[in-house]
Amino acid sequence: MRFISLILSMGLPVILHAKETDTLKNSLIREKNEIRDTVVIPKRITNLPSTSLQQYLKGENVGLYIKENNGEPGTIQSMYIRGITKPVLNPTDNYQLQPLIVLDGIPMAGDHPFSYDIQENNVNKLGPATNLLATIDIDNIESIEILKDPADIAQFGPLGGNGVIKITTKAPLGGKQIGVNFYTGVSFKPQVETINANFENRFRKQFYNQYANDYELDTYPVFLSDSMNNDYYGPSNWSDSYYKNGILEDFNANISTDTKNAKFKFSLGNLINKGIADGTGLKRYSARFLVEMKPLNWLWVSALVNGNRLERDRNRNLRDRFAEMNYLPDLTSPLSPNKGNYNSYLEEFDQSFDKNITNLINGNISLKVNLGKFNFTSRIIADYNEGNRDVFYPKALLIDNSYASNYYGLNQRIFFDNTAIYNFNINSENQVDLKAGTSLDWETYKYNYMKGFRGVNDFIQILTSSGAFPKQLLYKYIDKTVHNMISFYGSGSYQYKSIFNAALFLRADGSSNEQPTSRWLFQPSLKINWNIKENLLKENNLLSTLKIIASLGRIGLLNSSDYYSQGPLYQSEIGYTGNSTIPSYIGISTLTRPYSQGWIGYNLNWAYSDQLDLGLNIGIQNDRLNAAINYYIKNNKNQLIGIPSYMEYGYSQSYMAGMNVQNQGIEFALNWQILYGQKDKLKWNFALNISYNKNTLQQLPNQLNELTIDNRLLKVGQSIDQFWLYKNEGIYQAQNEIPVGKNYSGILFKPGDPIWNDANIDNRIDESDKILTGHIFPKYTGGFSNHLSYKNWDLNTTFYFNIGRDIINAEMANKFDFINQESEPTINNIKEITYWEKRGDYTKYPLYNPWSNVIPYRKDQDLFLENGSFLKLKTIQLGYDLSKIIYKNHKNGHIKKFYIYGTANNIFTISPYSGRDPELVDYTGFDYGYNMAIPSSYTLGIKMGL
Amino acid sequence: MVHIKLKSAMLATLIIVFSSCKKMLDVDSSSAVSEVNMWQHMEDAKAALMGVYGLTRAALADNDAFWLYGEVRPGEFISPGRQDLKAIANNELTASYATLENLTNWRRWYAAINAANLFLERIHEVKSKDEHYTENNMNVDIAQVRSLRAFAYFYMARIWGDIPLILASNENEFVNKPREDQNKVLAWAQTELEESAEQLPFEYSTQDEKQQGDYYNETSDKWAGALIRKLSDYAILAHISAYQGNYQEVANYTAYIINNYSSSKMNFSSSSYLGSSTGLFNNRNSNQLLGFSFDWNYQEGSPVGHIEELTLASPLVDKEVPDLYLPKNKIIDIFTEDKDGRFYLDTLGNPGNENYFTNFTSKYPIFSKINCNLGGETADENFSTFTSAIIFTRLEDIVLLRAEALFALGDRSDAESTLNTIRIKRGLNNYSKDINGDLLTSIFTERQRELMGEGHRWYDLIRFNKLRKVNDNISNLIENGGIYWPISKNVLGQNSLLEQNNYWK
Repeated sequence: MRFISLILSMGLPVILHAKETDTLKNSLIREKNEIRDTVVIPKRITNLPSTSLQQYLKGENVGLYIKENNGEPGTIQSMYIRGITKPVLNPTDNYQLQPLIVLDGIPMAGDHPFSYDIQENNVNKLGPATNLLATIDIDNIESIEILKDPADIAQFGPLGGNGVIKITTKAPLGGKQIGVNFYTGVSFKPQVETINANFENRFRKQFYNQYANDYELDTYPVFLSDSMNNDYYGPSNWSDSYYKNGILEDFNANISTDTKNAKFKFSLGNLINKGIADGTGLKRYSARFLVEMKPLNWLWVSALVNGNRLERDRNRNLRDRFAEMNYLPDLTSPLSPNKGNYNSYLEEFDQSFDKNITNLINGNISLKVNLGKFNFTSRIIADYNEGNRDVFYPKALLIDNSYASNYYGLNQRIFFDNTAIYNFNINSENQVDLKAGTSLDWETYKYNYMKGFRGVNDFIQILTSSGAFPKQLLYKYIDKTVHNMISFYGSGSYQYKSIFNAALFLRADGSSNEQPTSRWLFQPSLKINWNIKENLLKENNLLSTLKIIASLGRIGLLNSSDYYSQGPLYQSEIGYTGNSTIPSYIGISTLTRPYSQGWIGYNLNWAYSDQLDLGLNIGIQNDRLNAAINYYIKNNKNQLIGIPSYMEYGYSQSYMAGMNVQNQGIEFALNWQILYGQKDKLKWNFALNISYNKNTLQQLPNQLNELTIDNRLLKVGQSIDQFWLYKNEGIYQAQNEIPVGKNYSGILFKPGDPIWNDANIDNRIDESDKILTGHIFPKYTGGFSNHLSYKNWDLNTTFYFNIGRDIINAEMANKFDFINQESEPTINNIKEITYWEKRGDYTKYPLYNPWSNVIPYRKDQDLFLENGSFLKLKTIQLGYDLSKIIYKNHKNGHIKKFYIYGTANNIFTISPYSGRDPELVDYTGFDYGYNMAIPSSYTLGIKMGL
Repeated sequence: MVHIKLKSAMLATLIIVFSSCKKMLDVDSSSAVSEVNMWQHMEDAKAALMGVYGLTRAALADNDAFWLYGEVRPGEFISPGRQDLKAIANNELTASYATLENLTNWRRWYAAINAANLFLERIHEVKSKDEHYTENNMNVDIAQVRSLRAFAYFYMARIWGDIPLILASNENEFVNKPREDQNKVLAWAQTELEESAEQLPFEYSTQDEKQQGDYYNETSDKWAGALIRKLSDYAILAHISAYQGNYQEVANYTAYIINNYSSSKMNFSSSSYLGSSTGLFNNRNSNQLLGFSFDWNYQEGSPVGHIEELTLASPLVDKEVPDLYLPKNKIIDIFTEDKDGRFYLDTLGNPGNENYFTNFTSKYPIFSKINCNLGGETADENFSTFTSAIIFTRLEDIVLLRAEALFALGDRSDAESTLNTIRIKRGLNNYSKDINGDLLTSIFTERQRELMGEGHRWYDLIRFNKLRKVNDNISNLIENGGIYWPISKNVLGQNSLLEQNNYWK
């Protein structure tokens, strides 16, 4: 029945009439002990002091990999369903891999990455850069499904090309109910080992003693050269001011009634989540209102409004500040590790502000006409979110130059969907459902951004037209992009008893982001469900469940912007490195081909994903042991990629369609009731999920066999998430160890240089000697949990893990490569206050000559490659259910449910990685060490029902 | 009854859906101009023309290429900290610094060339569609675009030697081309420039017979120093000829410029005008014979793409150590003559002026000849948004080039008097063999002093050594092709017809 109801739940409004609601509910909630690999019931998860959907889901599901690479509350986190389907080379690629979030039938409008076009760096997205999925209040959630197989995704079409996370909120059920949930807790500051200039000086002296000439000795950095300088050589106690314990609080209250002809539910929530460093934190205010009515016997109307507000206090990193300003001042001398100095630096922020506010409002109105076998549903859905960031840095923060910027951006979706369903019962054993529908999707993304330098004084903190900021240093950016999509779909499903089910789903979608000659794509999918147990093994007592599910289909993949739909175009693009948005020549605006962005020709047809999913579900002994195993193969075809070409025509690259990437994987989930049985006995439930994924590049456009993009090599037949590195084999100690004429692309090796493997044995080290090695994304992900309960007590422990992933320890590479890093400051080598924290293992690396032109401590070598696998104890929870006791003592009281619990989170990590937490690494696989640690936290909470 | 309602509702919905389908999916981008909307109006012509200028400026400014090619490579300026600059000075041009990768990549030059090719192919469409766009306006536009294209090829030939010569946008099918003999490229460029010069005015919006009326409805102030003029073309021609050693032609071209510069509202620069933050280099002015400006008033200033980024440091800007500096002894070696308006040491050993250098006595003397920050008006040491123009050539350069040509042609006395016109303006005495030594050396020393920091030095050294082998190192590089830069591996990787320069193989 699950499958049928799933289909129904897609096509129908969320609110169904009573009988169907029960069916739907049953299908979504874990009955008995059956494995629903796609369903998470957030009972245990709701206790977590998390802020975002990503954090809640981390390690809980097969097929869903979550990158929480920053412990700063409210920052953007990434999700990937069943692997990456294209190389992730920049944030825009990463955005394009994110799954669709459907909240109560509302396909949410996420952030659009187009503002990266005007950014010189990828440190943060412009604007508040707040995780939009931090708006979801977990206490309101009934179920979360991860839709992965092609037939399930097909319901959402190309919007769900990367998979779908379908969230259903709690519906009012039975009479009048009041619920109150509350927790409070603390996240604890980490214990760190601080260092001062003495440490750094001793570290560097080794290199200077061994390799420096007089001139190089003469240019020894000023901040290290005077050991009497108390600013750098004094006590290193900055961490007292930087790290603080953070308060965690969450409150949610709801009231609902459910009568025969009307239901409503109203909930309010407030969350405070303070970070452990630099005054960071997130606040959320949420409100939700749901009403459903049955004014006539055959008519149902429902309306839902969901409003959220997020306020984020961001870090005060130099890097983030200069990235926002796109201005790098002289950074020769880092911040002082001394608490007094650091505090007076922090005081300079007193007059500053950095307001980050995100408002989200979404809702739908559904109308359903029910005429027995024939149903017609019409829904209008709107999702709107806006981000505001207002920044002011006073003069004191940048030697007498103030800075202000104002950002306003919005993402909006209006969705209009009509569906007709006909249920056709041939007899009690055979049933046919037919469905047809259309949907229209209007999306708008836009932003206004203005920044200015050197205001007249610190009192004018907003960019006005009053001239308080000089017009020559006032920069304005506006952009807007629209995407429209039209879909037609139809399906037919056939059900034979509860034994066999087959459903065929056909759809055609037209997208305005596709070129006019190929706007439309037809996509079929088929799902077959065979209950072998019911069919053949009814008498078998051992086997309680045996099902086979097969699903096959094609899903379109959308272009991210209208940019590709236009064919050759003209833009204002006359910038250069570091000043890419210079607007004009002598004040006159320009139009040129988009040379640095790349050539866009014609015949860029739809990209699509062909997928097959095979699943087997086995239950033993009345499902005491239940296991599900899935195999999938996913071929994403005809995808766009920029190929370096036409450089003699000025283009950096040309966008061509024809990249095929295959993902294959096996997913395994197990649920085992080790101890179960009578009341008041100890119960023990063990759950495990593990996913294996492997991606392979199958084809590049133009019959290319390989492609070099920056520091990455994409090679047909290989994975797309591999590092491309020199193999380090030691150090040349003396001249006589160096083969005559051996060089690094023309530069002769000298003693003190590294030995890199000369793969093609030509006495010359260059890119042809690099090897593809390691994986940025894990091969295995998963988690396991134990749930123990005894009488009113329950105890949960949850672990999760990543295996088979690697990290370039770029932070250590930067430390050793100090000569080059300090030679030219970039956004990726700014020394934060955390520079004065001892991290990493200094003994792992040989002492090379840091002045050598072969760049001995380059990051593209396996010297800095490390195994980034880890196992984490995500949470321990202990709860006590007081409901029965209260009920016993106050039989006439109002309290129906009373549950108290405590949690301990992120308790330990086991990893071979020598840097900090291996999770704190983004899609590049490079760990620069800037991201904030994920804290350990402890909470106490109650859940109450009246 | 319900059924009828339902059916009509469904029908209505379907009709609405189908009829609005096409309209709904045809979305005009608001951030780009599609092919059909371009080349319609005079404004499109203007935007495309300025695009070619902007791309040329970008090619010169990217990673400070103009100075890294011209001033850093000779190794006279020293970098205390920047490893990439040290590598350039040491002729280790294949070292894998990001800067070098960018400098060896010629794509940004071909962007300007492609924009020019496209302009020349499509501009007639504007002419036929917009009656406000006059024949004269179009001819002047075309002449500028052809000049910029020729300039780009010349600049590339100096950097890479042989280069693919591409004169069409080939958008229907991009065809990879091999490298063309640079002599052919330069011969073509010479013809292009000579033809264009015919069409160009001495100055814009000044009732020049070649350009009638107010150019694009703007007065002459708007265009001062911003656009290619007739004399700009002759200046490029003079440089091309000098590069090829055709000194007779150099003499002809330079003579034309020297005879006509006042028609272009140009004049010689005083020493203080050279060193002033609001002088020759700031924003744009007619004295920039060929310059590419970053206009402060239009938010074109930037912390990057200017020599100030490399040479300035405390106390002029907020930076402890400059990226490039000229050591004291070297300065003294170059500026040997008393009362030199650019730099000299008085009898007490103190600098006589600060037109070229600031903080001469400190560890790192600051080369501050070009120091235009924030529009030059308000000196501010704490914030860097530089507004100096990239000046390819100016009158003094042309005069010295003429002196060099005359010397090469054997006309020593005219060479000497031509040299003296510059020397006098800088407060020096006339050239004297007894004091100043060899004449040719004096001419090149004068160039070094006069044009310091203006991107000439490397090419001057090459010409000097072609005339007389004074430096074994450079002579060897000339012989074995080492004066050229390697071609980026990214460029070689995308066009199999290209071959690396022999020296860098």
